[in-house]
Amino acid sequence: MINAVLVFNNNGQPRLTKFYTQLDTAVQQRLLSEIFTLVAARPPSSCNFLPLPPLLAPSSRTTSTEHNDAPSLVTYRHYATLYFILISTSTESPLALLDLVQVYVEALDRLFENVCELDLIFNFETLHAVLAEMIVGGVVVETGLEKVVEGVRAQGRVAKRPVNESRAGLSQGIWAGR
Amino acid sequence: MFEKDIYQLIRGLRAHKGAERDYINQALAECRREVRTTDLDAKATALLKLVYLEMFGHDMSWASFNVLEVMSSAKFNHKRVGYLAAVQSFRPDTEVLMLAENLLKKDLGGADKATIALVLTTIPHVVSPAMANSLLADLLTRLAHSSPAIRKKTIVTLYRLALVYPETLRPAWPKIKELLLDEDEDPSVTAAIVNVVCELGWRRPQDFLPLAPRLFELLTAGGNNWMAIKIIKLFSTLTPLEPRLVKKLLPPLTSIIKTTPAMSLLYECVNGIIQGGIMEAVEGTMEGDEVARLCVNKLRAMLVVEGDPNLRFVALLAFAKITSSHADIVAQHSDVILECIDDPDISVRTRALDLVVGMINANNLQQIVERLLKQLRSAGKAPATADPSQDRGMPHGIEPLADDDDEDMQTTIRAKETKSAQAPPLPDDYRTSVIERILEMCSRETYAHMNDFEWYIGVLVELVKQCPASTGSGTFGSHNAGVGKEVPSVADAVGNELLNVAVRVKAVRPEAAAAAQSLLLFDQREQMFPAAGSGGQGVLSSAAFIAGEYATLLPSAEAVLTSLVHVSSAQLPPQTLASYLQAIPKVFTTLTSDQQAAWTSTRRTNTTLLIARIIHFLGPLTLHPSLEVQERAVEYLDLMRLASEAASSQPTSEESDGYAEPPLLLTQAIPSLFTGMELNPVAAAALRKVPLPDDLALDSPINSNLQMLLQQAEDDASAFDSGQADEVSRFYNEKPSAVSVPQHQRPAADTLLDPPSSVLASRSSSYQHDAETEPLDRAAAKARQRAERRERYKDDPYYIDPDRDGSGTSTPTALHNILRSANGEELDVDAIPVMELKFDAAPEGERKAGGRAPVAKKKVKRRFEIAGDETLEGGEGDEGAKATANGGGASVAAAVSRAKKSLLEVDSSGLSSLSLSDDAGAASGRNAAASYVDVERRRAEEEEMTRAIKEVERLRLEMQRAQERIQPMGVPEEGTVVRRKKKKVKKGEGLEGDVDEGEGGEVAKRRKKKKRRESEGGETRETGEVVEGGDHEGGEADTPAQTKRKKKKRQVTFEEEA
Repeated sequence: MINAVLVFNNNGQPRLTKFYTQLDTAVQQRLLSEIFTLVAARPPSSCNFLPLPPLLAPSSRTTSTEHNDAPSLVTYRHYATLYFILISTSTESPLALLDLVQVYVEALDRLFENVCELDLIFNFETLHAVLAEMIVGGVVVETGLEKVVEGVRAQGRVAKRPVNESRAGLSQGIWAGR
Repeated sequence: MFEKDIYQLIRGLRAHKGAERDYINQALAECRREVRTTDLDAKATALLKLVYLEMFGHDMSWASFNVLEVMSSAKFNHKRVGYLAAVQSFRPDTEVLMLAENLLKKDLGGADKATIALVLTTIPHVVSPAMANSLLADLLTRLAHSSPAIRKKTIVTLYRLALVYPETLRPAWPKIKELLLDEDEDPSVTAAIVNVVCELGWRRPQDFLPLAPRLFELLTAGGNNWMAIKIIKLFSTLTPLEPRLVKKLLPPLTSIIKTTPAMSLLYECVNGIIQGGIMEAVEGTMEGDEVARLCVNKLRAMLVVEGDPNLRFVALLAFAKITSSHADIVAQHSDVILECIDDPDISVRTRALDLVVGMINANNLQQIVERLLKQLRSAGKAPATADPSQDRGMPHGIEPLADDDDEDMQTTIRAKETKSAQAPPLPDDYRTSVIERILEMCSRETYAHMNDFEWYIGVLVELVKQCPASTGSGTFGSHNAGVGKEVPSVADAVGNELLNVAVRVKAVRPEAAAAAQSLLLFDQREQMFPAAGSGGQGVLSSAAFIAGEYATLLPSAEAVLTSLVHVSSAQLPPQTLASYLQAIPKVFTTLTSDQQAAWTSTRRTNTTLLIARIIHFLGPLTLHPSLEVQERAVEYLDLMRLASEAASSQPTSEESDGYAEPPLLLTQAIPSLFTGMELNPVAAAALRKVPLPDDLALDSPINSNLQMLLQQAEDDASAFDSGQADEVSRFYNEKPSAVSVPQHQRPAADTLLDPPSSVLASRSSSYQHDAETEPLDRAAAKARQRAERRERYKDDPYYIDPDRDGSGTSTPTALHNILRSANGEELDVDAIPVMELKFDAAPEGERKAGGRAPVAKKKVKRRFEIAGDETLEGGEGDEGAKATANGGGASVAAAVSRAKKSLLEVDSSGLSSLSLSDDAGAASGRNAAASYVDVERRRAEEEEMTRAIKEVERLRLEMQRAQERIQPMGVPEEGTVVRRKKKKVKKGEGLEGDVDEGEGGEVAKRRKKKKRRESEGGETRETGEVVEGGDHEGGEADTPAQTKRKKKKRQVTFEEEA
C-alpha cells in the first residue's frame, strides 16, 4: 500500500502532505525534511527511487518475513518546481507508481489548465480532492485520468487561483506579463 | 472585524518575507478566535487556514472539537473543510473521535454522493477498532450503492477497517467477492477490489486460490495495466501454493512480455515470474528454458538501455531476487551488472554493489576491487551535508517562506521532468559502504577468493586514504566481531583487516609490517590521511599493534619508533595512544636487544638516546586523562628508567678493554616481557567452550573470616602513628590485602545509606579507639602488629612473610586448600592450574591439536597459508548451549524488530489469523465450521437484540400513553419529550445492525430490566421516563450518548435542518 504522499517545492516548502497513518505533526515535518534532504542531493539524471530516509530505515539488519507491511520504497518525481513523493510498501510496483504520479499531475493539469505551483498553493483543497479520487486509505482506487477528473468536478467547480492574484501581490511587475 | 480568507492568508504569507514566523503567530491567534465564533462560515475559513498551517508543522490538535463542528455543518463546502481537517489533524489520541462516530454514520447514510465519498475517504484515517465495529453495518450497505465511485471507495475503506478490526472481513468479504466475480461490475470497482485483494493476498494466499480463475480472466482481458500488475503480483504469491497455476500463467505472461508497450507491466511480469518461482517450476522443459531466457534477456536489456536509470534500478532489484536461486544466470550477466557499479546514479550503484558482493570469485575479485577503488579515488570527497543550503536541520526547519521566485512558480509543471547530466559527488555513507563491501568481498569465507595478499595489503593502505572524514557508523562488523570491540568507523574496520591478514597469513607479514610502517611514519602522515579530521586514523591503532608485534619485520624499526614517540602522537585518541604505548617498548626491544654485538660506546650512546626519547614521550602521558594510557605510560616509564640506569652503568667494551656484554636487562629481561607464544586468531566462541574446572568454587568466600580481618584492619590503622617508617616501607613493598579497606573508609555511597547518627557513632568509636590504644609499650605494640599483619596476610600469595617457613602455619581456607591440593605444599609457579588446562581426559588429544595449531589450514595458493580461528572442540553440551544462546538471541532480535514498528507502517498482522474461506469451503473444515457457528450465533444474537429493542419500544409507548392519559394536554415539556422519543427510536434502530457477541450480556440485562418494569407497571410516569432513559444508555454503552445529551438542543436543530 501507499503510506504517504508528499508534494513539496524545490525549497522544501510543503504543498501537500498526506499520511495514511496517523502521525505526530512534528514527526511528519521531520520526515518531510529528511526526504527533502535526500531528494535535493540527487542530480537530475539519476533514477526516481530514493534510499529510505533515516526515520524509516529498518532498525535492525534482520529483514524479517513481515517486510510487506513496512514502507520500503520512496519514489519521487520532479516536475518543474515541484517534487512529488510516494512512500510505499513492497506490494506496489515501482514503475507503476511513477505512472501514478504522472496521472496525478495530468489530472491536476486538466483541472487547472496549465497547472503551476501557484495554483496548487492557493487551491490545496483541490490537491487533496484529486488525491482522494485516486488513493483512499493508502490503496489506489482509480488510475484512469478521465474518471479522476470527473470525480473531482462532480464535487463542485474547481477554481483557478484567485483571478486578481496577479495584481494584488507584491510582485506586480513579474506577474504582469501573464 | 476584518477576517482573512485562505487566499489572503497565503498572500499575506508571501508578502511578509523574512517575518513569516511573526505573521504566522498572528494568523494562528486570529484563527483561534475565529474558530470559536458561532458563524460556521468563519469557522470553516479559520479551519482551512489552520489546515494550511498544519502542513508547515503548526499543531492544530487543540481545534479538534471545532473540526467536529464544521464537519457536522449542513453545507457541503463546510463539510469538505471539516473532513479534510479531520484527516490531516486527528491523531489516535484525539478525544472527540468518539463523538464523530454518529456524524460519520449519518453522513454515510445520506443521499449526497460527494458527502458519502468524503466520509469514505476520511474513515481510514480516523478509524479505531471500536468505531470500526459500529460503522461496519453502515459501510456494508454502501457496497450496493448505485454509484461505482462510492462502491470502490467503500471496498477500500472496508479493507482499512479490517486492518484494525479483522472481523470486518467476515460479513464484508463475501460481498466483495461477489462484486469481483460479477462480470458486469464497473471495471474501476473491479480494479479497486483487485488492489485490495493484492494487499490481503500475501497475508493469507491460500484464501484467494479460489479466485484464481476470475483473476486469470481479468489478466488476459487486459485493458488496465495497474490492475494487471496487481494481479501478477498476487499470482506470484499464489503459485507457490498451487503449482498447476504455473502452466496456466506462462502463456499469458509470455505474451504480455512480448507485446506490452508498458514497461512497468513488462517488468512486473518478469518480476512475477521470478518471485513466483515460475522459473524453477518449469525448469528443464522447453518452454521453461524459453521463458527464463526471455526474462533474463529483458532484464539485461533494461540494464543496458540508455537514458533510463529507473529501468536499471528495477532490473538490478530483480536480479538481486534471483541471485540466491539462480546464481549462474546472474553470473552470466556479470558484465552488464559490473557496468552499473560505475553508473552515475548512486541508487543504481548501491544496488549493483549489493549484487556484486555475491558474484565475486577468485578470478574477478581483483578486477572488481580495482574498479571500486578507482571510483573512490576519482570522485571528489563532497559529502551531501557540506552544502549548508541542503542542511535543513530538524523539525522546525520548515517555515513557509515567502517565495521569491514567482517566475519559477508559474512554470507549468506539465513540462517534461527536468533532467540534465552532472557528475554526482560521493556522499560519505556511500563511500563508507563501498569500503565495507570491498572488505567484505575480500575477506569472504576467510579469504577464500584471495589470490594475492600483497595486492590486498596495498588495497587496504589505499582504502585508508579513501576513508571519509566523518566517522560514519560502520555496518561492516560481521566478520571482525571476534576482535571484540566495537567498530566505530570504517577506518577501524580497515585496520582490523590489516591486522587480520598480518596474523593469519604468515607469508605476507613482512609486507603487512611494511604497510603498518608506511601508515605510522610521521612524515608520511599528510599523504596517508588527506582527509581532515579523524577520517582514516582509526587504522593507526591496528598499525601500531602490527608494528609492535612484528617489529623484527619492520623495514626501518628506528624510523617507526621515531614516529611513535613523536610529540604529535600524544594528541591521538586514547585508544590509539594506548596501542602506541604498547608498541613502543616492543620496537625498542627489537632495536636494542642484540646479544651478539658488543656493548660499544656507540651502542650505549644510541641506546641511551633512544631511552631518553621514550622517557621524554612517556613522561607527560603519566598525567593523561585516560586511565589506560596513564597506566601503560607509568609502567613503561619505570621500565625505561631501569633500562636507562642499566645502560649507563654497564661498562662498554672501550672502558673494559675488550669484549663487554650488553646489559642483561636489555638483552634478556625486557625482551622476555614481549616474547612467548605467538598470538593466533581465536574463534569468537572459543572462550565459551573452555570448561569450568570442577573445583572452581565461585560461591564460597575467599576468606571466611572477613569480618575479623576488617576488625583487625581497624586495629591496625590505630597503630599507624606508632610505626610511621614501618608503614611507609610497607606501603611500598607490600601489596595490600584485598580486604584491608578499613571499615570507616567505606565508599561514600555506603555512608549515605546509613542514618547519620550511626555513622557518627562509628566514627567516634574509631577515634576513641585510637585514643585508647595509644601505645604504652612500643615493642609490645610492634610485636602485636606483626602478628596481626601475619594473620591478615596469611592468605595473600604476594605477601612475603619473613617468619614463614614454607610449612605454613596458617589456618586452612577454601582457596588455600585448593591451591595446596593442586600444587602440593610448595608453591610451584609452573604448577598453577591455569597452565595445566586439564579440562577432561577423553578429548585431550584432539584438544591439544585444536588448541595449539590452527584447526583448519586452508591452502589457497602455493604461498599463502591462512590461519583459521583457533577454537576448542567442545562437547555436545557446549554446542547445545551455543545453539540456545544463538536461538535466544535471534528470537530476542525478532521480538525487538517486531516491537519496533516502522514509522509509517500499517500493521496488517491481525489479518493473518482470520480465515476468509468460511464459505469458499476450501481451507480447513474445522476452521470454517467454527466460523460458521460463529456467524450463526451472531445472527441469533442480533435477532434476539432486535426483538428486545422492539419489546422495549412497545413498552415505552404504552407507558407514554398512560402518561398522556393522566397528564392534561398542553404541557410545554411534552414537545421535547416526543422529539426525544423520536430520536431514541432512531438510535435504537441504528443499534440493531451492529450487535456483536460482546453485547450478548447486555441483551440479557435488558430483558431482565424489562421484566422488572413489567412487574412494576403502575409506577408514576416520571420515574418510568427516567428508567427508560437509563435503559437506553445502558444499551449504548460504547456510544457517547451521555456526552451528547448536553448538546441535545443543537443536534435536534441539525436534524430538523437536514
